[in-house]
Amino acid sequence: MEFLNPSALYGLFALPLLLIPYLLRRKPKRYVFSSLYMFTALGANRTARPFRRLRLPIIFFLQLLLLALMIFALGEPVFTSRPTKVAMVIDNSASMQALEGDKSRFFLAQEKAAGISADLGFGAVLDLYLTAPRLERFGRESFSASEALRALRGLNPLDLGEAPLDYNNALGQLARQQQYDRVYLITDRPARGQGAAARIITVGQPQDNLAITSLRIHPGSLAEARISASVEVANFSAKDARVKLTLRGGGTPLASRELAVSAGGQATASFEGLTAHPYFEAEIDARDALALDNRRFAVASTTRRLRILAISPRPQELTSLRAISGVALDIVAPENYEKTDRSGYGLEIFHFAAPAVLPRNPALFILPPQQNDLVELRAAVTNPSVSGWRDGHPLTRYVNFSLFRPRYARALNPRMPGESIVRSAEGPLALAITQQGNNHLVLGFDPFPYLGQENLPMSIFTVNIVDWFFAFSGGRGRATGEPIEVSAPQAGDRIITPKGEKVSLQPGVNLYPATLYQGIYQLVSQNEKNLIAVNLRDLNESDLRQPAPIGLAGDSDARAGTSVLLPFWPYFLLAALFLLLLEWLIRPPMAGAGRRVALRRKHAVT
Amino acid sequence: MLPEPFTPKFLSQLETLRLRTRKEFLGGQSGSYASPRRGTSLEFADYRRYAPGDDLRYLDWGIYARSDRLYVKLFREELDLFVYVFIDASASMAFPSVEEKFLQASHIAAALSYVVLANHDHVKVHLLGGSPGNNASPFYRGRRRMIDCVEFSAAATPAGTLDMPASLAHHLQNLRRPGKAILISDFLMPAASYQRGLNLLRAFNLDIAVIQVLTRPEVEPSFDSGGVNLADSETNAEINLQWDIRARQNYQARLAQHNSQIRSFCHQSAIHYSLHVTDRDFADFVFTTLSAIGLFK
Repeated sequence: MEFLNPSALYGLFALPLLLIPYLLRRKPKRYVFSSLYMFTALGANRTARPFRRLRLPIIFFLQLLLLALMIFALGEPVFTSRPTKVAMVIDNSASMQALEGDKSRFFLAQEKAAGISADLGFGAVLDLYLTAPRLERFGRESFSASEALRALRGLNPLDLGEAPLDYNNALGQLARQQQYDRVYLITDRPARGQGAAARIITVGQPQDNLAITSLRIHPGSLAEARISASVEVANFSAKDARVKLTLRGGGTPLASRELAVSAGGQATASFEGLTAHPYFEAEIDARDALALDNRRFAVASTTRRLRILAISPRPQELTSLRAISGVALDIVAPENYEKTDRSGYGLEIFHFAAPAVLPRNPALFILPPQQNDLVELRAAVTNPSVSGWRDGHPLTRYVNFSLFRPRYARALNPRMPGESIVRSAEGPLALAITQQGNNHLVLGFDPFPYLGQENLPMSIFTVNIVDWFFAFSGGRGRATGEPIEVSAPQAGDRIITPKGEKVSLQPGVNLYPATLYQGIYQLVSQNEKNLIAVNLRDLNESDLRQPAPIGLAGDSDARAGTSVLLPFWPYFLLAALFLLLLEWLIRPPMAGAGRRVALRRKHAVT
Repeated sequence: MLPEPFTPKFLSQLETLRLRTRKEFLGGQSGSYASPRRGTSLEFADYRRYAPGDDLRYLDWGIYARSDRLYVKLFREELDLFVYVFIDASASMAFPSVEEKFLQASHIAAALSYVVLANHDHVKVHLLGGSPGNNASPFYRGRRRMIDCVEFSAAATPAGTLDMPASLAHHLQNLRRPGKAILISDFLMPAASYQRGLNLLRAFNLDIAVIQVLTRPEVEPSFDSGGVNLADSETNAEINLQWDIRARQNYQARLAQHNSQIRSFCHQSAIHYSLHVTDRDFADFVFTTLSAIGLFK
């Protein structure tokens, strides 16, 4: 027997509330009687004893049974026969690595799955599915029960976040299309409701967790190498925590410090004056549920050079950028942008141009045409005066904004959330926008004609822009699951994963998608070796407190599950109605004063 | 204006009745009840030797012819009867309401009083307990005093506690003529209490009749099941009790035993006893039940 709506069974916990009216009735009702002489021999004052035995009438037990039956009926009980074709969907996202005692959630899921497959009848077949990186079948053939046990042992969780998926539809569709009698989803998320064929089995309990949510290496500027690092630690728990944070460079400890993280909050630690290393790793020594997010990797740029790809219909205005030390500039016309290999560039400058889709590299947009995703340009202004700027921002450093006077500008109206860096009376003139992990800057004026000219504040602002983008170049990490771009791979090029696997790259394939694990990926080509840091960036995987429940409606897969389900909750309802009738017969509504009145009338008649 | 049960028909039926006494009392005036005094009734009592001055009409000539001695016949003197009606007017007689219990007791007293008054005998109503004030009426005689008699009892308000022996003793202090005593009460009190009270009446050479008046809620209490807090209507004392079918059965058994004890005591003491549950027919009780116990001739 199963329940399609097991959450209704929580109502059973409310059954003891039925005692309350009976306990309240224990406070004796007061009656005045002619003489108490006759009662003195009847054990009077027994109720005065505080812990006397509670006497419950039969009607109480009838009411208890009635309520229990109604709750069971609400739980929609069904008889089930043994399914013969079963799909088992196992959540293999990063949060399944969390420990429950000494076992991981994934191990518990494997045990549950093994238990289910062991219970399957003779001749039943089982298909295994995994949820990460996407809901996908594991293995081409269906498994028998014994084969499934072997296959389960070979499964491991990935360092990936859970793909956004409507499980109600997905499981229902799976059941309908593949004609499964039963679809089990074993996950660490709680279930709300049950489907006719779909069942959710939850492993794990809400837990506290600490995670490094960000590790940034700041390479300094083009002019001066001043490597610094900032680490952000989040506390996903209801109590304050104190952790030891260690920063390593190339595996060698560089610095460590104690960090206090408030409950549910974040704390940031900065490390200055770091020496150059191929990669950096931050780690907290928290003994929490999920060890994966206690480490984070980052790669700093190893060269003091910024490769810029400029897309401009007026290339001559950009050539002054080449005067900045460390800048390598390539300029293409807007119509050639799509055909250009953009890998390896630390900055793309769209000068009076805008791409059809936002670039993967950091980008600077200068007076883009109206057809762009980032901003809408307002009316043109001549010699606008700056009315405000973001103080302390790397872009505004050393700039005297009282002398900052572009001759022509258009105020910006952002189409997506961004930070206003420079403002005029007409609106923002410079907007910093972070989109898909990339930093973009949109300017409502063109700073390049002034570079090296009489307008010194504008030149300083231009150099700040280049330095700001340099800080993001080279060291940009990727999230697990995000593909790594490979620039024109040659035969013999390969990627070495954090697990030490060497994967040969196919010529002509510019993406390596299998970033399934967190760590440093080494892109080895004939000429050079590039390191790419890949980290788990899904905070939902780190926050183990209250995972979002998966709701099943119960009707999306109704047709698939009917062969094994026989609902019998109507019989519970019938039994409840019968009990209601019985209760009415035992104690009719005419009670108390009404009954006494009736008694009096009866005696008066007789 | 007499209350509802005292219709002309009911009164005329009462007029056919006469109280029966088991003792002979010295009345004040000639009446219809036998007295120990020798007098001029038709009922022969004894002989006595003739003494000069005796009325010659009472000489028994037959004895004189047989024994040559003069004897005069003595006859009983029939005198009127003094009836004392004691009504329990304590607070318990107002349960569940004055109308249901005390008024019923007053009606019984009034009916018996009317029987007495209709025979030109004397009746006096005493209130036991009750509110302070005039607790005893004057002697009434004659049918026309029925209104006074009823009004006296109707004016009473049941209140307070009742110590039956003390209260009876208080009333008996002023009692000068023996007669018949009718005690109307619920008798919901310890046996020792009512026995001492009745013994007091016996000590005053009264012919006693006891009428116990109970209401239906007292006979068959109907509290809600569960814990109940009962307060005594007289003393305000409280007790807690677990009330259920079993407790109700126990109560009824105890009440039956208590009533049986009263009946037994009355039987042993030559006291008329009757129980009236107030939801029963009043006229039937007066004419059938009271007659059956020998209260009426």
